[in-house]
Order: sequence, then structure tokens, then C-alpha cells
Amino acid sequence: MSSDLNGLLSANHMEGNKWLPHKIAHATLKGPNVVKEICIGITLGILAGSMWKMHHWNEQRKTRAFYDMLEKGQISVVAAEE
Amino acid sequence: MIEVFLEWRFLTIAPCDAAEPWQLGSQDAATPIMQGIIDLHHDIFFFLILIFVFVSRMLVRALWHFHEQKNPIPQRIVHGTTIEIIRTIFPSIIPMFIAIPSFALLYSMDEVVVDPAITIKAIGHQWYRSYEYSDYNSSDEQSLTFDSYTIPEDDPELGQSRLLEVDNRVVVPAKTHLRMIVTPADVPHSWAVPSSGVKCDAVPGRSNQTSILVQREGVYYGQCSEIRGTNHAFTIVVEAVPLKDYGSRVSNQFILQTN
Repeated sequence: MSSDLNGLLSANHMEGNKWLPHKIAHATLKGPNVVKEICIGITLGILAGSMWKMHHWNEQRKTRAFYDMLEKGQISVVAAEE
Repeated sequence: MIEVFLEWRFLTIAPCDAAEPWQLGSQDAATPIMQGIIDLHHDIFFFLILIFVFVSRMLVRALWHFHEQKNPIPQRIVHGTTIEIIRTIFPSIIPMFIAIPSFALLYSMDEVVVDPAITIKAIGHQWYRSYEYSDYNSSDEQSLTFDSYTIPEDDPELGQSRLLEVDNRVVVPAKTHLRMIVTPADVPHSWAVPSSGVKCDAVPGRSNQTSILVQREGVYYGQCSEIRGTNHAFTIVVEAVPLKDYGSRVSNQFILQTN
């Protein structure tokens, strides 16, 4: 039996050791935690979406400031008569 | 770097009211409707980015963890009830958050202004526009009517945009409620001005109505959005002038028409 085992091991060695136990990953034993991955994904998504929202709020602020200045007469979009 | 900072901090001095080469976003809003459309687009884009980042992350992590060389034996997972319930309910909530502002904008765009200051009729022809200002009549009871032709490609003056300029612009007062009545004389057309957030189809045998409130003075360019044969895509140019100048501009148009 030990010779069979040695033979098997040597055969595995020639095939690249892909059948060794530590090479086989199982989600239940060692692998990604699905809930953790989902939480990280949602967090990253919300972070990226928040960056976009900040850009959107900045655009709104600039637009509001533009129309406020236009209303007060600080700026004008009408070219002066020559 | 300084220019990028200044662009971030302050709005650019020249609003974008015409199509520009390689343009990616919308033209700057000139009406509350267009501002609402841009805001709705930004709201929906937030969800788009969220979902894109989440799905991309899941895909990349799955490819990383379950690579054939690292994980040659796949698990025989048939179903997971909890995750199936979550992945059904959660995505169905997102369209609800999208639908609320979308319907609010849609119905507000359909609101008819009860008492607009001015009514302008835009009539589509193959291939020019004619406009009628029926609120005003000349001394011989003729309303102001004029044609608007696109300036040919080989005929523009220096500074004019190619295939965007017209000989007679539609002059409207800024900060005033307007009613546009759009109808065709022959085949279907569409009166569209992106800066104003207006696209109104001209359907034969029918007059469609849309309300506009231009918030700032300027010249706004649009194009017919219903393709109807050669020499189509004729342009629409709306010039919003201060209210105090509007009267003299309309009078000048009357004089030109009489002559």
C-alpha cells in the first residue's frame, strides 16, 4: 500500500501537483465569504455613486450661483452694443 | 491644473447652447424643464454607477477566486433561497427610486401654462420653417409671419456655425412664459431645441403645444428631429432677448415683412 501511495504521489508530481489537498479550494473550507464580498461591493458602489453625487451637487451649485449673479446684475450674457 | 480648478469652481463664462464637436454631455440648460431633465439624468446615473461598480466587483472577484488553476474542482451549488430572495427584492426597489423623480418631471413637463404671454406658431415645411406671431397685427391686420431658411453650407459669414444658422431667427423675450404651437404644412417634422429641453413633433393634421420659459438671454440652436428627405435637418434658431428689446425687434420684423 505504501508503494501504491508513493506511486500515486510521484504520478501527481509529474502532473503538476494539482490534486494535493491544499491546492483544492472549497468555499466552505477556505474561500471567499459571499456576504463579505457583497458588502464590500455595495460599499464600493455607494462610494463611487457618492463621488458622482458630489459632482452633481457641485454643478447645481455653480448653476445656482450663475443665475444668482445674473439676477443681481453682476454678470451679463448680453453683448454690449458697439 | 489651474484651469481645471477654475472650471470646477466657477461655471464657464460662455454657456453651451449649440452642439459642439465631440460633445459628451447635454447642452447647458436655458429653461427649468431642461434643468429638470439634466437633474433626472444625474439621479439615474448615480444608480447606474452603483450597479456597474457592484457587478464589476463581483465579476472580477469571482474570476479571481474561482480561477481554474487555483480552484480546479467547482462546487455543486444548485440554489440558495436567501440570496435569490435578496437579489430579486433589492433590484426591484431601485426602479422605484428612479420612477418617482421621472414621473414627477414627466407630468410637470405636460403642465399647460394657463396664460402665456406670447403664442408662436412654428410651421414645418420641406425644408424650411415659418413662424407666426398671431398676437400682433400690423396696421393692415396682417399677423407677423416670416420664413426661416438654413444658411447654405457655402454661404456663411465669418463666425457663423456651419448648417446651424438661419436667415431669420425666432425672437422671443427671456423670462417670459411662451406657448409654441407646432404643426407641419406637408410631412411630419419635429421642432427641437436641446438647450430648452423642447422636442415637439409636428404631425400633419394636428397642432401640438408646448410651453417654454427661457431663463436667460442667448441664442439657442436646434435641428429638425424628424428626418424627411434630402436637405432635411434644417435648423431652428431661437434668440431670447431682454423684454425691453423684444418690442423693437418685433417691430423691425414687421417692417421687413411689409417691405
